Amino acid sequence: MDLIGPGPTAPAAVAPGVPSANGRGRAAGRPERRDGVAVSTPPGPGSVRADLEQVFRAAYPRVVAVAARVLGSRDEAEDVAQEVFLTFGRSSVPADEAAGWLSVAAAHTALNHLRSGRRRASREEAAGDNSAVCPDVADAVVTLDERRRVRAALARLPHKQAVALVLRHSGLSYAEVAAALDLSPGSVGTTVRRAESALREELTRHASSD
Amino acid sequence: MRHPTDGTLRRLLDEPAGVAEADRQHVAGCPVCLSGLAAAQRDAALTASALGADPAVDVDAGWSRLSQSVAVDGHRLRPDAAKGFRRSTAAARRWRTALRKPLVAGVAAVALLTGASAAAAADWLQVFRTEQIAPVTLTQADLVELPDLSAYGTVEVTEEADVREVADAAGAERATGLSVPLVSELPRGVTGEPTFQVGGRVDAVFTFSVEKARRVAATVGEPLPTPPPGLDGSQFRLSAGPGLAAVWSEARGVPALIVARLVAPSAYSAGIPFEKAVGYLLTLPGLPDAVAAQLRGFSGDGTTLPLPVNARYLTSSTADVGGLPATVLASRDGALAGVVWVHDGVVTAVAGSLSTAEVLSVARRLGTR
Repeated sequence: MDLIGPGPTAPAAVAPGVPSANGRGRAAGRPERRDGVAVSTPPGPGSVRADLEQVFRAAYPRVVAVAARVLGSRDEAEDVAQEVFLTFGRSSVPADEAAGWLSVAAAHTALNHLRSGRRRASREEAAGDNSAVCPDVADAVVTLDERRRVRAALARLPHKQAVALVLRHSGLSYAEVAAALDLSPGSVGTTVRRAESALREELTRHASSD
Repeated sequence: MRHPTDGTLRRLLDEPAGVAEADRQHVAGCPVCLSGLAAAQRDAALTASALGADPAVDVDAGWSRLSQSVAVDGHRLRPDAAKGFRRSTAAARRWRTALRKPLVAGVAAVALLTGASAAAAADWLQVFRTEQIAPVTLTQADLVELPDLSAYGTVEVTEEADVREVADAAGAERATGLSVPLVSELPRGVTGEPTFQVGGRVDAVFTFSVEKARRVAATVGEPLPTPPPGLDGSQFRLSAGPGLAAVWSEARGVPALIVARLVAPSAYSAGIPFEKAVGYLLTLPGLPDAVAAQLRGFSGDGTTLPLPVNARYLTSSTADVGGLPATVLASRDGALAGVVWVHDGVVTAVAGSLSTAEVLSVARRLGTR
């Protein structure tokens, strides 16, 4: 990840819960250039930002991947990504902060879906089809049952831990995760470590109690 | 100096440069911290596995959908009709993830039974030496339930692989002391020059703890089977590597062919015989009976390394490579295949987004520089 840097970047503006997509307050309303990177012009009411397609094509796979880590299903992750890009399209998030903002928004939104039970039950049945996140050969793969356990365990984690975990495993640097969650870079490791430990305990507990 | 926090150890795995030099130095020489580091590494790997890999997505279809959702200013949103999605994308993604860390993956697969560091200490008795490899078919549930050795004692990683890229084949040979296999003829569709990765030896010491094992058994509500005399506190030294890999990538960076070579795993014991310990571990509560039975069968002669194969995605068969028995793995969708064999204590593997016939053809024609 190289599109957002440490400090108070746009992801910090994403409220835990629904992404506000509100980059205003920094670049909104003021076309300008910072560090040679174009900052988007805020769209008017009902319009979409001009760079949406460009940003979409560059960031869509990454955004789907972030959501898929939470939801365990490509189809559901694509639903979340659509939601996030729709919000983004009407936002004035600076272009150079778009990638980070989108990842954070995808994590928040997917976790909200997971917790609010808005997931379609039918998806649970679709484990064998292509909507499943592709497993890889080297790692232990996750069965439908196992995937259900992982999602349940994620939903039980404190929100901040879950977001930090997902963002870190989606490739965001410690500085980027810190900026997104308003943490110090030093405490990102602690947060991620706790989340991984809790996840392992949940999975081990459930695996051995079956 | 006080020990660095768990968070610092965790960051050391991802961004060592972000950890203070003093902390790095402390960890390198502190058994407690190295143990904590190893635990963090296991949890991170488990999490990565549980959260899954990147799915293949169709960007064109996604854009088409989004542009339809955005009702206004249609002129800005040109629905792109190109439906260029290819089935192979999914397979390619899978490969990319699987091969991102080929040496690490290879080492991880064998870490459970590996052995032997510097036969340095004279009281380390070699109890296992890989001479052949046989696939063990496991279901996903079995894989999930395979016991983490740290639940039955302590695992101290004394040497880590330090996987890195080197400039060329000569560099790979210098770094590992292994000869780089020479591919005489590339399969159709594989072009260009390979990149070379190398990794050092992985070395770990496992110390069995009856008390820990008893606690694990208690969590599943079963008594601990009586341990063999002398097992408590017995140490097993596990190691594998060094190794090297030549990786041919497709235009988009997806590995098309990988040829890897690794010093085969072996194990040493400083206490009771390794097989006896493994046999006992396999009777512990929590291990699926089918897996226990299969693994027991393999530990009999102390030379056959079980290679876990996930039956849902892979099929395995045997073949002959230069007169040696080889294990052939192929994905059920036909997108990828690999072959692996052992000769004189060295494991060689050829794999790629190729057919079984193609990987066997490459394997049988490998030469040396």
